[in-house]
Amino acid sequence: MANIEYLLLFLVGSAVISYFLTRLNSFIGSIFTIFATMFVFVSLAAYGFNMNLDTTVSLLPWFSFSQTYLGFFFVIIIAFIYLMVSFFHPYFLDKYPYKNSYNLLFLLSLAGIIGAFYTDHFLQLFFFFEMIIWTTMFLIPQGKSREAAVSYFGFSLTGSVALLIGIFVIYQNVGRFDIQAGLAGISGTTSVFVFVLFMIAALAKLGTFPLHIWLPLAHGNAPHPFSPVLSGALVKLGAFIGILALIKINPIGPVIGAIDLALGQYIIAFIGSLSIVFGTLMAIKEDDAKKLLAYSSMSHGGYILVAFSALNGFAFAGGLYHILAHALASAGAFMAIAAVARATGTTKMKELGGMIHKMPITYLAYLIAIISMAGIPPMGGFISKWLIFQAVIDRGMILIAVAVFFGSVGSFLYVFRPLAALFLGQEFREYKHVKEAPLLMLIPTFIIMGLNIYTGVIPKQIIDFINNIIGENTAFAPVVATTFTVTATYGTLNAGLIALIFGVGVAIAFIIFILMKKSRKVELMDTYTAANFVHDEHLLHYSVDFYAPLERMYEKQSHWMKKFYDALAHKVKEVGKLAKYLFMSNNIGVTLIWILVIIVLLIGVVAL
Amino acid sequence: MIVNILVGIGIALFGFALQTSIGGINRKIVGRLQKRHGPRWYQEFIDIFKLLSKRGISHGWIYDFGVIMALGGIIATAMFMPLTVDIVAFKQFDNFFIFVYLLAVGMLGMAMSASGSGNPWASIGVMRALTTMLAYEVPFLIVALTIINVSDSSSLTAIQAFQQTAGNNWFIIALPLGGLVGVLSLMGMLGKKPFETYIAPAEIASGPMVEYGGKQLGMLFILHEISVFIEVSLFVHLFLGGASNIFIFLIKYFTVYTVVNLISNVNGRFKIDQVVKFFYKWPLLLAIIQAFIAIYLGWVI
Amino acid sequence: MKSTKFTPVPLTKAETDKKWWEIGDFFRRNSLWLLMYCTGCCAIELPPAMTSAYDMERLGMGPMATPRQADILLVSGYLSLKTLRRLIYTYEQMSEPRYVVALGSCPINGGIYHDSHAVINQLDQYIPVDVYVAGCMPNTEAVMNGFVDLMDQIKHKRANGWKKYHENYSWYKANQITSLGEVDVHDEFHE
Ligand code: SF4
Repeated sequence: MANIEYLLLFLVGSAVISYFLTRLNSFIGSIFTIFATMFVFVSLAAYGFNMNLDTTVSLLPWFSFSQTYLGFFFVIIIAFIYLMVSFFHPYFLDKYPYKNSYNLLFLLSLAGIIGAFYTDHFLQLFFFFEMIIWTTMFLIPQGKSREAAVSYFGFSLTGSVALLIGIFVIYQNVGRFDIQAGLAGISGTTSVFVFVLFMIAALAKLGTFPLHIWLPLAHGNAPHPFSPVLSGALVKLGAFIGILALIKINPIGPVIGAIDLALGQYIIAFIGSLSIVFGTLMAIKEDDAKKLLAYSSMSHGGYILVAFSALNGFAFAGGLYHILAHALASAGAFMAIAAVARATGTTKMKELGGMIHKMPITYLAYLIAIISMAGIPPMGGFISKWLIFQAVIDRGMILIAVAVFFGSVGSFLYVFRPLAALFLGQEFREYKHVKEAPLLMLIPTFIIMGLNIYTGVIPKQIIDFINNIIGENTAFAPVVATTFTVTATYGTLNAGLIALIFGVGVAIAFIIFILMKKSRKVELMDTYTAANFVHDEHLLHYSVDFYAPLERMYEKQSHWMKKFYDALAHKVKEVGKLAKYLFMSNNIGVTLIWILVIIVLLIGVVAL
Repeated sequence: MIVNILVGIGIALFGFALQTSIGGINRKIVGRLQKRHGPRWYQEFIDIFKLLSKRGISHGWIYDFGVIMALGGIIATAMFMPLTVDIVAFKQFDNFFIFVYLLAVGMLGMAMSASGSGNPWASIGVMRALTTMLAYEVPFLIVALTIINVSDSSSLTAIQAFQQTAGNNWFIIALPLGGLVGVLSLMGMLGKKPFETYIAPAEIASGPMVEYGGKQLGMLFILHEISVFIEVSLFVHLFLGGASNIFIFLIKYFTVYTVVNLISNVNGRFKIDQVVKFFYKWPLLLAIIQAFIAIYLGWVI
Repeated sequence: MKSTKFTPVPLTKAETDKKWWEIGDFFRRNSLWLLMYCTGCCAIELPPAMTSAYDMERLGMGPMATPRQADILLVSGYLSLKTLRRLIYTYEQMSEPRYVVALGSCPINGGIYHDSHAVINQLDQYIPVDVYVAGCMPNTEAVMNGFVDLMDQIKHKRANGWKKYHENYSWYKANQITSLGEVDVHDEFHE
């Protein structure tokens, strides 16, 4: 099916069907969801790559669609993550209090996403954004934390209000709601104003530095299969808004001579770098594996901001590549953690150990995901980080480089922690009965593993597609890429060669290993303890306060930060309470009236 | 392509042989420093082959797989390393970042294997190694940023060629502050005192290596020699003008390693948080100042 | 006339293994790493053996941190029952081939503690010992000489204690159990 309108209607329809099917039997409903998502993904992939989708509208009179390479890049990544995650539903749904509506909301939010990236009308963009926020807001508390949902909603609301005001300012100046024309039409102070508003929306959705509080809360408490979507897909909406603001609006302001960059972009890059540093430091300290990954998303959001504000072809390509690489990596990592959580019922690292002996494939999935996340070759994250480094060095952004490098080395620290504490180490007796995840859950795991490697070895197709986006949206020179290589300012990276040589190295090491005498197999507990007899494997498992000496150094500061955020969170909660009072009354009509009132008021204000 | 790969393997092998001999000679030098005879210069070879010939233990597949992955990653990194301007396996692909990040694959493999052994000291050692890495890597990368920005390439051969062109100084002279930071970071990378907190034999029983014996330990020794080769060569190429022929490379290599080793032998050991504090105080500050001077003001000696 | 041309004689598997073993022995005897199990007063003889006075590093020897890495288990002096249990545990953790060197007269026959209720008298009842260095305490030359003896034994394939331990495992185990008794309660305080 190659018509966006039909796709949307199909999703809404199947959402309703899945509701009734899930009511009958959650397994059947979830299987149906898998097929519905798969259908949408396949349609998009089959027609979207060459912009062959049909955008005509016949059944939804107020809507209008257009397709762009940029929008498609986001849609295909997000739809893919949705598809992968839907494979997890059959095994998780029964645990949730409102399992009937889970698939319904899931499919509706996918519809919202497709709409948001294909619309060419600002108000529809806002409408679809709200659709995503509202549907996902009801998905998050299924993980049984209302607080998380409220804070998610609070921050999203901040973002959408900023977006809405920005939209009306544009409308006031240009007189049209058309996205391309609107963005192109503003200039001068207006554009600065819109830039700021759009950036607030972007920061809130991306979960970067000043507006990041919801991120660990929501990611940590969301239902296990929904965290990959949240981190891998939904925060990327922020990146989309960020591109609109940083690249398309690109207000003319004072320029910093030394690095030849507009002040606005530099400030955003600086916020991005703060986000990298804080995200990294908080992730190093975190004990909950999912929250740790959430903080890592925060730091990767920082990378994306830095990349888009460097205003340079390589950086732009690097940023987009990073969106793809991080979506795959974080989805892979979250899915691995979800599989562990399903088997053990916890995501706290201090309660887990030695899962590798029970779940080797899940372990491999996590390993490959974190190699990409830490930007180590031969995975996708390396290529994107390499491109971003080139841009940072090229601009000579020294202070930002400190943060970028810090985040990159710091990521080794935090991604290794779940590896060591959760998967490796001693095997706990309470998890002796645990088994590897079922086959249906391993399918997406394998696919994501493969893609993580693919993005790191053969960059050609992806860079080519990114070049289309560059040509469509910017005046930057396209990035030169052959099948295996990418060329940037300071040289050429041969990703395929690196992978090949890595293979050669491993082969040599393997030959050395196999030629020598076979080792004697011993138990995990038969380990050097200075000749002491220890019979409790918990005592031999080092996982609590893993980076204690490092954590000690900024414990006070992080406390201070926490207090500040607690106060802020309190305020946010109050806002949330207000919002709850106003919007979450039992009567749907009240809600709708309020939304209408706000919109009318805003139109009135802007019109005056 | 096959020829290039063979050259690469040759370089890795050469690096191993070179560092193992120089390591042995340095043990002898240190021995003399302490009024001892010291071992034979080929002692390190004997140690490694002995370890390979012994029958060690294995703690399961991840323990073995991690070692293989670690050694493989390090060999792969060494294969990209240029020896001189001409002797390089993959011309124009010897990108600086490969060395930093492909080295990390090896380290990840080793860390994985060590934690997989189930020994808490191994995990503590890994934790310390990673924390030390967080400390020395950032100042070093900032200096590398300056060098790449000034020499306009991130390929190691191009950086060497840049320093060897008439009128350009070696970067240790051209960027004196950066050179100092480079030496300090190199000591951190090599795990020389005062930054050898993660080995600490008497405190955490040699850290990551606590459970290794037999061939696995032998492979880790090979890994260690090759990674020292990579790190010292990186320093030679970045700061000391690289080499136009192999003898100059040998002389520079030997000098750098010996000097660092001598400095190391008159030092005590830092605590892990002291290491972090140290690197984030002076070296980072110096690196940033150097970058400002060189990039924004254009003052390069 | 017989041909003077060199014709390689194909070696059997056992012969090749033996050749490799001899090559391995060369490396092993030139790089002996110690695990110092400093149980008694003889341990005081080790610092001069390691430092500039006698410098054991010139023989390729050196101290190591854990039993997994070490080749020699160096028992320096008397062994109480409590330490014996740990000594055996340590010995069993070492990689093969492994050697045991015992310093002082205490491990040989109990030395001046021969009538103590808490100290064992003969170490080689429990684990095989390759080299004894007698004396109470043996001076450093004797200690060094003991190491050279061990190298000689390795060269002539006489340092076979670790093989004996495998062959007579049940005998050693029985002795160990008679002296130490079975351990019933498995926790940190009862062993
Ligand atoms: S042999 Fe003598 S010096 Fe050695 S441990 Fe026994 S009593 Fe002490």
